[in-house]
Amino acid sequence: MDFSLTDEQRMIQHTARTLLGRECPLDLVRAAWDNPALAQPLWRDHLQDWLGLAEQSTCDVSLFMEEYGRALAPGVYFPSLLATFAAEAVETTLSGSATVAVAGYDGFWTVNDEAIKHYVPCAAQVDDIVVVHGSQRQPRVAIVAGASVAVTPVDQMDRLRPQYQVHVAGIEPGSAISPQAWQRVVRRALVATSAELVGVGRHLLDSAVAYAKERQQFGRAIGSFQGLQWKLVDAALELERAASAVAWAAMCVDADTADADAAVHSAKLEAGTAARRCARTSLQVHGGIGYTWEHGLHFWLRRAYAGDAFMGSSDYHARRLAGLLFVA
Amino acid sequence: MNLAFSAADLAFRDELLHFLQQHCPPEAQVTRDRIGTDDVDDNGVMVIPAWAKAWQATLFDHGWMIPSYPPHLGGRNATPTQTLLYLEALAQRGICRSVHFGGYAIVGPSLLEFGNAQQQALAPAAIRGDTVWCIGMSEPGAGSDLAALSTRAEDAGDHFVVTGQKVWTSYAMVASRCFCYVRTDKDAPKHRGISVLLIDLDSPGVEIRPLRHLTGQAEFAEVFFDAVKVPRENLIGELNGGWRITMGSLAHERGGLWVEGVASCLRAVDDIIAMVARLGLQGDSAVTTRVARLYSQARSLRAMGWKGFASFAQGSSAPEHSYMKVAISELQQTLYEFGMDLQGSGLAVTDPAIAQEAGRWQSAFQNALAATIGGGTSGNTTQRGCAAGARPAAWLRRYAWTFPSPTSNA
Repeated sequence: MDFSLTDEQRMIQHTARTLLGRECPLDLVRAAWDNPALAQPLWRDHLQDWLGLAEQSTCDVSLFMEEYGRALAPGVYFPSLLATFAAEAVETTLSGSATVAVAGYDGFWTVNDEAIKHYVPCAAQVDDIVVVHGSQRQPRVAIVAGASVAVTPVDQMDRLRPQYQVHVAGIEPGSAISPQAWQRVVRRALVATSAELVGVGRHLLDSAVAYAKERQQFGRAIGSFQGLQWKLVDAALELERAASAVAWAAMCVDADTADADAAVHSAKLEAGTAARRCARTSLQVHGGIGYTWEHGLHFWLRRAYAGDAFMGSSDYHARRLAGLLFVA
Repeated sequence: MNLAFSAADLAFRDELLHFLQQHCPPEAQVTRDRIGTDDVDDNGVMVIPAWAKAWQATLFDHGWMIPSYPPHLGGRNATPTQTLLYLEALAQRGICRSVHFGGYAIVGPSLLEFGNAQQQALAPAAIRGDTVWCIGMSEPGAGSDLAALSTRAEDAGDHFVVTGQKVWTSYAMVASRCFCYVRTDKDAPKHRGISVLLIDLDSPGVEIRPLRHLTGQAEFAEVFFDAVKVPRENLIGELNGGWRITMGSLAHERGGLWVEGVASCLRAVDDIIAMVARLGLQGDSAVTTRVARLYSQARSLRAMGWKGFASFAQGSSAPEHSYMKVAISELQQTLYEFGMDLQGSGLAVTDPAIAQEAGRWQSAFQNALAATIGGGTSGNTTQRGCAAGARPAAWLRRYAWTFPSPTSNA
């Protein structure tokens, strides 16, 4: 078992961090909150090319997504990546941006025939919508133009990744895919989401540690207080554990091991739990300044919670994992 | 990033498994969730059983005691990855190499690293278990703050005169020699006045009093030194250069411990799953979800160990490893506590006739309470402080602790 990165993987990590550090400053994140269209140039000029990652290993995808989460890049790349996973299952190449509509009312990526798809990210911003419907045993994938279906916005914490209800009653049936092919799409989407959450946690924690070193109270840096150090280290521990779970799950998915599902549930539950822990810890360390709109910490905090909820929260994945452990 | 092991590594593991099948005595396969022995005399004081002595010697003679060492030191020049495979294979089967880890894990490696030729020659017997060693570190006034130790050694020319007291000294009652930290310069800053002496425990003036654990057994002791004469040639390394050896000792102590810790957690999770089924609680989602979260933590910690190893082997820092001791020791306590909780009102019952698995969970829990204290409560308190970035130098040093160095094929 070897967790070391290849030269190419280091390059992905380095290039993504440099690119997003340069092209996705906090000002852009802030601007995209009020006007999602302002994130379009980032997608058009830079991120669209990175969709090619969908053809590479899940490990490669996870390395990129961690950097993506760290930068909190706004826009349609993330839903387009998931849509590419799904489109690949029907051997279709998407021409522009896209998203995936699959979850029913409960929000889980269990294939269903409900007339309204819920929690669909960026449905009003993308060119195409990949609708997955039918049943778990017989999933079908239909790719429709975003403009051809009705979408209803839903207010939620994380407006940088707006979610919509998509009305799919009466759409074309699309192509059948095997349950195994669909399972692979879900696994890869879960690892990508989990990796993003690890990146979100990294930003939250790194900024808290930096602030603790710089902020002076009682004549010393607040980071010198043990009460604060312990909080930070406990969050860091959860985050490292989550990062390890994600790397492990990515390798299991790529190798299609027997325990890949368990590894994926574990990754999502660890990443969601850790990102939320980092969010609360970071806010506590920052104190009042972190609670202001101006500071921007809240954008990452919102993503930590919205990301945990996406495709099923930590609690849901713990229950699914329990289902695997207690099967006779 | 790749799950597979190389053909050479798999062959290494096969050879190990074959060896274990042929030679490992059943007594060495402890399922008691602890490192050490349950073999005690009528007073509850630890003894070294004959099988343990023979087993350690067999491991040494076949090159399976410390695989990364060359054959004359009980090894086979194994690579770091192979060392991890070795530790994992043993830990998964609950196999202990020795019932007194101080000699092979700390004293032997420290003699090799810091001793002169004559002292290095003592290492094979320490590793093979022919000589049983204890390590004189903690004192009543020097626990986590080891550098505050006050046992003094007066320089009397051709010998030292040692006076003072050690405490929590594991294996002192079965050891013949003590690898002892003493103060040789009381005027120097506290880290600079410490030396290491090899003290024969049958020297006049040495008194050993076994100290009972919270578990009721005695595996460690108080050791008193009353004007004990120690020959000058028993000084290890430089006079007043003992602090460097301390840091080395701790590194040896930490080496690979996470592998054993993770394996014990995974075993505990498996056993909890079995107990939940036995108790008919599979349908209780509050219980099964809690099991799933603990399973997830244990599996993730295993990944974290291997991930840290990869960074370390590539020459980067591995923040993962400074968390391992904290995470594992706390998870062990949580798991064993959960095993007790599952027994409802019987959680504190230790009567083997009544408690689940003859009281194994209660006993494992009490043993695991030592894990967040042993090796210094500093393990679980200061490591947090260091990780927060308060003291970068110490933080870096701690990376090395948890791991057999990739270049340590001595």
